[in-house]
Amino acid sequence: MSTVTAAEGQPRAAARRGAAAEVQVSTPSRREFLYYIWGASMALLLGQATAGLIWFALPRFKEGTFGGIFTFSPESFPATPGSAPVSQPEGRFHIVHTEDDGVLTLYGVCTHLGCLPKWENDRFACPCHGSQFTLEGNYITGPAPRGLDLFRTIVTFDDGTVEETVAADSRDGKDYAIKLNGRQIVKIEVDTGARIRRPGHA
Amino acid sequence: MTVLPFPSFLDDVKEKGLKRAVFEGVNEVTERVTAGMNLQDIREALRGEAPSRKPNPRLTPHADGFWLHMRPSYFNREVTGLYPTFRLGWLSTYFVFFETITGMFLMIYYTPSPEVAYENMLNILSNVPLGQFVRDLHRLGAEAMVLIVTLHMLRTFLTASYKRPRGFTWATGVVLLLATLFLSFSGYLLPWDQLALWAVTIGASMAEAVPPEIVGTNVNLLLRGGPEIGANGLLRFYLLHVLAVPALLFVFTGVHYYKVIIHGHSLPPKAENIGEDTAKRVPLDKRVYFIPDILTSEIMWIGVTTFILVVLCTWFYHAPLEAHADPQVTPLGTTAPWYFLWIQGALKLGDKTFWGVIFPGLVFTFLIFLPYIDTGVSRRFAHRRFMLTLGFLLMSATVVLSYMGLPEFGVATAAEQAVLHELTMSPAHNHMGKLLPVPYEQLPVGAYTTRQIEAGPEEAAAAVAAFNEELEATGLGATLLQELQQTHKLDIASLRFSTVPADAPELYKVLEFFEHELDAHEAELRNAVGMLVITQNQPNLKRIDALIMWNPVEEETADETLQNAAQTGEAEQPFRIFAQHIFIHADSNYFAAPGA
Repeated sequence: MSTVTAAEGQPRAAARRGAAAEVQVSTPSRREFLYYIWGASMALLLGQATAGLIWFALPRFKEGTFGGIFTFSPESFPATPGSAPVSQPEGRFHIVHTEDDGVLTLYGVCTHLGCLPKWENDRFACPCHGSQFTLEGNYITGPAPRGLDLFRTIVTFDDGTVEETVAADSRDGKDYAIKLNGRQIVKIEVDTGARIRRPGHA
Repeated sequence: MTVLPFPSFLDDVKEKGLKRAVFEGVNEVTERVTAGMNLQDIREALRGEAPSRKPNPRLTPHADGFWLHMRPSYFNREVTGLYPTFRLGWLSTYFVFFETITGMFLMIYYTPSPEVAYENMLNILSNVPLGQFVRDLHRLGAEAMVLIVTLHMLRTFLTASYKRPRGFTWATGVVLLLATLFLSFSGYLLPWDQLALWAVTIGASMAEAVPPEIVGTNVNLLLRGGPEIGANGLLRFYLLHVLAVPALLFVFTGVHYYKVIIHGHSLPPKAENIGEDTAKRVPLDKRVYFIPDILTSEIMWIGVTTFILVVLCTWFYHAPLEAHADPQVTPLGTTAPWYFLWIQGALKLGDKTFWGVIFPGLVFTFLIFLPYIDTGVSRRFAHRRFMLTLGFLLMSATVVLSYMGLPEFGVATAAEQAVLHELTMSPAHNHMGKLLPVPYEQLPVGAYTTRQIEAGPEEAAAAVAAFNEELEATGLGATLLQELQQTHKLDIASLRFSTVPADAPELYKVLEFFEHELDAHEAELRNAVGMLVITQNQPNLKRIDALIMWNPVEEETADETLQNAAQTGEAEQPFRIFAQHIFIHADSNYFAAPGA
């Protein structure tokens, strides 16, 4: 059995490269050029067909499919500041009484990959990849890129005032909360069509 | 005389006699069907004799027939043994056909709609003759196919069969691996159970992370067919599973195999000189002819593999089915299938765009272009130290990442939920709650407690009696009863604990496991007692309530608080109760996978 080493293969490879360098490129003839134009137009047609098919396959939504206004009486609001949130499974959100006495609604879907974190004693914990959030939806740990998203909330108080969530552009959930300031709640409305994303935690 | 322009069969009979005419007719039909082999040729082949006429009739089915036109007419003896191929490429092809056939039969009873899909599954499992068996075969075949295709790639890497001129073969093989993975994964959604919904929700959310945002958002919408996975999403995944991806798989299987034959099966590395590729020049004395040797061997392998699958699905394996999909509850311990655990592990590391999309993308891009990156000529192990090291590093990384993908890693769960989950979880990935496989007749109606286990076999009766008295004395018994009646809507009048009867050893084992788990979580579940309450809910249906009662302790200060309590002797804090229940039917027929 004779052994051919890798070094012996080298001259051939070098010869190939040398041959490639000597190749003459002639200008395309009229026929060749027209073929290129024809090919390009076919490619364009194919691209259009693909775009059309993607457009065809993209799902259509009716107006309002994304959400609506949910209305709650004050009974569904947690009694004391910092107590366990009240979950609304049909709207996939939690109504929160923040520790500094404010109203907040958190979208119950994890900002990581769409699982539903569960409330466990003092925090939301996601069963899929282990992200955790505080009562105000603030990021504690895990792979989630930001704290839980919030829904625009409209609170009507007994003194006739109406307040709604303002996009605070803050990482801290408390900044989005509507403070009670001693007033009694008459009605809470949650607009699940208006989702507020807070900035990433990094 | 006949009216036909050629002699009829009747003419033949008149001329040659019936026996001769029939034999010649059969002989001719055989030669046409086999594209070249008459009865005599077939008998010679089966007897192991050399062909008696020329040209060799055993080659004409390859040259003139459709079915064998892509199969080589002879193999090199070096590649027909177990080594170097381990039959892995062949087995992969076997599973392509196996999955297609079992899948087509399942399609008879399946409608891709969230309204009826789960009902269809129950029907297949309980009503259709051999329904569960066919589903088990399809599911086990899918898992086996992922394993076999991966091993096939590993083998090709180890023997360096991806090197020139087989680079393109390898690249199409990686496409086949991706198609296999996606087929297996898209099949997950179809039963429309909890596992299906949440595994695919995670998968589609990963697609959403594809940069740039406009691509990710639209890919996600295309897959899900709406903002949430519903009827549209199920239909889309169904179509991908039964039409689009199989079509891709078949086409690429053809391309892949064509390339294998064009270049010949690569020989074991040491059978050739370095830099040589002699696979196409098979010396006469090394030829093993397809007819009859390879053909009969392949039929035998089809038989053996199918037999193994049948045995496994009869006695050792059942495809899991979880509870009906519920978009409002993510079940505890949601995991990716085992072959995607490495991605789930990577996802826990941080950014989903990087770890969920770019990282796996890079891995597969690297795999596709491997033959064009590693262009060294030698296939000998000694000359490939760098690539082999890299390969083993990648494999180790996959194992570590897969471990990190397990729910035990980095996912915090309250202890009481974790313990009861281990008892009552519905089957997923061949793992199920310990209570489920307990035989129906070993679930005697009554109430049982882990105090019995704590006390040991001799003291069992006394410990249970003491527990009953304790409940009565402290009023905790009434609290428990109220909790069961009101919160959990359990229809019982009183709660009195007894020891597990001697004829229910499986229940006893579960109680032992329960006590063991409570012990393991002693820091969080202080003074914990586990209880199992079994009631007859309906004829042939038993309800089992699993309860934990414990003193709540702050996790961070658990040890300190325990010590303080021991010193001052005041262990009596208010108790907390956590309960969950399941139903077991006389025909539930869960059984634990061996070793699970």
